Amino acid sequence: MFSFVIRYFGFLKFVPGLALVFDNWLKIHTLLTRPDLLDWLDAIETEADKWENVTISTHKYGGTQFNYGGKEIGHIHSNGLLDMLLSRSIKQQLMQQGRIQDHHSFKNTGWISFYIHTKRDAGYALHLLQIGHERLSKGSVSNICLPEAY
Amino acid sequence: MKQIFTPLIKGYLFSNLFAFALMGITKLFIPSSDSVLIFSEFVIIPFLMGIISTWFWRKRELRSRRLMWYSCINVFIAIGLSALFLKEGSICLLIVSPLLWTFITAGAFAGQKMFERSNNTLNISVVALLLLIFVADSLSQHNYENEVSDQMVINAPVSEVWQHVVAFKRIKKENKYWLFKIGMPSPVESTVDGYHLGAKRKCIFSNGYTFDEKIVTYNVNQNLTFDVTHQPRDPEIMGHIDILRGQFLLKDNGDNTTTLIGNSWYRLYVFPVWYYDIWAQSITRNVHLRVMEHIKELSENK
Repeated sequence: MFSFVIRYFGFLKFVPGLALVFDNWLKIHTLLTRPDLLDWLDAIETEADKWENVTISTHKYGGTQFNYGGKEIGHIHSNGLLDMLLSRSIKQQLMQQGRIQDHHSFKNTGWISFYIHTKRDAGYALHLLQIGHERLSKGSVSNICLPEAY
Repeated sequence: MKQIFTPLIKGYLFSNLFAFALMGITKLFIPSSDSVLIFSEFVIIPFLMGIISTWFWRKRELRSRRLMWYSCINVFIAIGLSALFLKEGSICLLIVSPLLWTFITAGAFAGQKMFERSNNTLNISVVALLLLIFVADSLSQHNYENEVSDQMVINAPVSEVWQHVVAFKRIKKENKYWLFKIGMPSPVESTVDGYHLGAKRKCIFSNGYTFDEKIVTYNVNQNLTFDVTHQPRDPEIMGHIDILRGQFLLKDNGDNTTTLIGNSWYRLYVFPVWYYDIWAQSITRNVHLRVMEHIKELSENK
């Protein structure tokens, strides 16, 4: 459904406020179908908020955006879809772990997408955001290995 | 008293009180708005209701799931109060509810973000801007008319179809359209007091409501156009839309079949048009189809 709307009605995101309304519908849908996801998204937000120089805002096309010093680390839509911009080499390495996908709209770029379906996925999403944070704060990523817990 | 007026109850109470007070004041000072429900009443007010409720809930630091549930309860309270005080019917409330769900919950989350930042200047600016939009919208003229057209091919000559267009026997077939199935009145019969220009026609609906019509074009086997001279005021959809004119055009296809075109013109009294016109078109289309399918059946079974 999300992919269908993005594909055929994506152009409407330029109407002010409409993407935010759409994200709110996603939130209502999530409440009715996967209410736990809302708790996991809150937990990610709470945790990321503790990181150095990280601010949280509303993404221009709906969802929660995580920023480092004014630059976007990534954003999560209310259906649990995490979108992030990484370098192509980091993306390549992460793709080999088999959990992330090409971004749902921007193929062949550093953008990735990751769907949060379980609590374990929420942990992995946080791990991905940490990689993004490290990339922006230190200019490089020392270790993208997956912690065992995830 | 403190135990009754908890922040949770205050959130529900004051957000709904605000909404009804604002609507009441608008009706009082802008009499022309009496019969029209505007965009702001379905978008800006619910959004402000969400913000107001979270102002009372801000110290509880609600998680998203709980805030969503609280806001959903607020939607149900608003719907219940609308039924009670605005005398809206259940189908009307069903139609309006997606807007209330969307904007009350959106307002609640916007409010949560606003009050987290504790930037009073920004918060007051946002609320003032929303109120400004409400005032501007309330003072604006609202007028919207549209036409819906449908057609179908009937395997009968025009002379046969014409007889059933002017008036038709009671429709006994079950309704297919989901809104008709859940109780929205559907057309069941049409009567006429004469087959000539100026004759009075009646379109009778399933709940007994009657639309009085006057034939203004009577070209046998070609064109039947009628103006609606009186329509019932019903708590359901009827109070929010006026059917102005109806028309049946018949085209002889030359192969013993007829193309029947049904046209209706209506005026909306509820806004935003981008939302309500979808419903108006859907309902009008299904009124057409129910009548036209009946005419097709009567004509083809002759």
